[in-house]
Amino acid sequence: MELMIATAIFLVICGAMFGLLQLSQQKYSSETQLSGAFQETRLAIDQIVRDFNVSGYPARSLFSALPPDSSQYTLSPVAWDPSYAVSPCFVGTAGGGTCVTPGDFDLIVETNLGNGAGVSWIRYQLINTTLYRAVVPKTAGGDPVAATSAAGAMVPFLTNVMNNPSPAQLALIVANYPGMFPGGLPQPVFKYTCDTAAGPLPCPLAGNDGIPSNIRNVDVALIVMTRQPDMQTQQPKLVELNGRGRRVNPSR
Amino acid sequence: MKSRAHFKKARCEHGAALLIAIFALLLISVVAIALIVSSGTETSLASNYRTSTSAYYASLAGLEEGRGRLLPTSLNYIPLPANPMPLTQVIYITNPAGGEVVAPDDTANPTTYPDTQYKQEFGVDVSSRIVTKYASVSPVAGLPGPVYKWVRINALTEKSLGNGVTGVDVNNDGDVDPFTPLFYDPANRTLGGAMSPGLVETPTPSATALQALEITSFSVLPNGSEKMLQYLVQPLVEFPNLTGQGFTAALTLAGNNVQYTGPGTNSFFINGQDHQCPPAVQVVTAGPMVTAIGYTVTSGSDSSSGNIAAGAVPAANYLGAPLTTGPPPGPSTGSIAFLNTMNGNWLTPTGLDAVVQDITNNADSVITGPTTPGSFPSGMSATHPMTIVVNGDLDMNGWRNTGYGLLLVTGTLHYDPDATWEGLVLVIGQGNFVSTRGGSGGIDGAVFVAKTRDTSGNLLANLGASSFSQTGPGSNVGRGINYNSCLVNSAMGPITYKVLAFKEIPLAN
Repeated sequence: MELMIATAIFLVICGAMFGLLQLSQQKYSSETQLSGAFQETRLAIDQIVRDFNVSGYPARSLFSALPPDSSQYTLSPVAWDPSYAVSPCFVGTAGGGTCVTPGDFDLIVETNLGNGAGVSWIRYQLINTTLYRAVVPKTAGGDPVAATSAAGAMVPFLTNVMNNPSPAQLALIVANYPGMFPGGLPQPVFKYTCDTAAGPLPCPLAGNDGIPSNIRNVDVALIVMTRQPDMQTQQPKLVELNGRGRRVNPSR
Repeated sequence: MKSRAHFKKARCEHGAALLIAIFALLLISVVAIALIVSSGTETSLASNYRTSTSAYYASLAGLEEGRGRLLPTSLNYIPLPANPMPLTQVIYITNPAGGEVVAPDDTANPTTYPDTQYKQEFGVDVSSRIVTKYASVSPVAGLPGPVYKWVRINALTEKSLGNGVTGVDVNNDGDVDPFTPLFYDPANRTLGGAMSPGLVETPTPSATALQALEITSFSVLPNGSEKMLQYLVQPLVEFPNLTGQGFTAALTLAGNNVQYTGPGTNSFFINGQDHQCPPAVQVVTAGPMVTAIGYTVTSGSDSSSGNIAAGAVPAANYLGAPLTTGPPPGPSTGSIAFLNTMNGNWLTPTGLDAVVQDITNNADSVITGPTTPGSFPSGMSATHPMTIVVNGDLDMNGWRNTGYGLLLVTGTLHYDPDATWEGLVLVIGQGNFVSTRGGSGGIDGAVFVAKTRDTSGNLLANLGASSFSQTGPGSNVGRGINYNSCLVNSAMGPITYKVLAFKEIPLAN
């Protein structure tokens, strides 16, 4: 009798405990995914910011006589397209400006990473929901977009990036996170500030100074979704992190 | 019988509750341990990120301490051992934590944060160099500062720019030189004569070339996270002429049809003879001499020369270059000359505007005018000269003190001869220097006046008619302007060490 009662009580306690454990496990799993996304996003922002901070080394102004091989120096801290090395484009946002890159979802910096490879082009580009990174050696007369788009150059850097989702995803996300996408519009990964005579201004408002070589700061905003929806609510879970890179090297 | 059987059964069940309790405890313990382990994994992930970032910013703090302490106006100024600094000399700022030893030059001891990077850059061990060490000023009032271990300051070469991998051939001569220090020459020109500012590799730098330096900072966190960052810097000195540092006139009136009105008294001098250091000594000594009053436009229709000559009387009170011939050499009277070696940037409104911006960005104090010296910062002294910028008019009337350093006024400067200024006075903007009072003070150093803006504040296309007028009553209207290269060079800076390049040096771990 005593054994039966003890077993019954034990089973009741176990049932309650496992019920609670399952709840907390679901919560824990969701939170783990969220913190994982948070962690990956932080590391991504940190890498982008570091690369941007050291962009533009060595600048042309270091040389008293420029070598004929333009791969030995940086033409500009930020490479551009179209007409790279010929004439600068104007940085815009949401389809404005004349630059294809740098743009809301695309950035190419030029710098020497000190790894013996000389000056490199480092590209970050958001394609669908994956942020890619490419590091390729700069070549004299080369095109940074073509070089970084070559097969195998771009590698996935951060997945589930929701800054520019499909319309269906956007509608679902906006329903859950209305403040994250003002106006229900895609959010730029990169926003640029340019040096002007009147002080720093957002590049799209900087007039003739709004060109890639004048970019001083880049504000990075990454909106990342967890791999699985919330196990309790079945709704998508997102984190948004922001960072700012500030170029120290000279413009030219 | 029934009772006995019940007793027997009860005896068989003895200890069952204990077993169940132990089992339950085990179950709970396993769950708890699993939770703790997973939580610990999350914590260590966050910790790695945090320490990496902390090491980066600690290293950056070291770079800024090194850059700041190179300025002569810094309270913790680190003078270079020689000018230019030879490659054989190395300066370290060390920042040990409590109880530890930081000896970067002891490369045989891995526990004292040895600087092995130096050998990668220069091919020789830093222990073979002449090393000077300074303590960090990072800890304040006993509170620990950023945890960088050391900061190295040294000259650089084309080879060292590559950090041991490949150098940077700054002059495109096909050779990455490991022995010749590099200088930054803002007035460098190509063989074809085109301006080409940049690093030059030369054992005999021109007057406008200033030595570039390398500042390297190494940080190590308690958990072993390391980071090394590097600046290349150049001293930012505004140079008004191309043949040497400083000015080539005690008073320079830049622009077209400049105006000069002197008091016409015997006590007032504008003297181009160099008054040597210490600045308190006001006796005339033999030495390098400049023009008393210089002007910058000499076209046929320009009236600058005639205007100055008409106002600079008696001529005997305007002493300076050119030297008269015959022993003993002495100064010329009526020393008024066209300055033909001026830096082109000091002859255009846009060039001078850039000079004003540079000075303003690095000034100790920027004051909006109209104002009076009552707004000047405290702490200015002969040993601690300051850079003061007044955006607008400055009225010094009634001020009977002494100022030290660089005074830049963009409006009209109302000068009171009872005041003394030891250093450099720049009146760039409205270009008006006016004095209508008497006094016994003077300006020791140099004065430069240029009109770059119209009365509405718009930048002019060409320099306008700057004017200098000192017309106090009676015979005692101040000592005038006495050229002093020592004070001028001290006031001119460097006003900052400009960052030419910034990079992170990859480390093994």
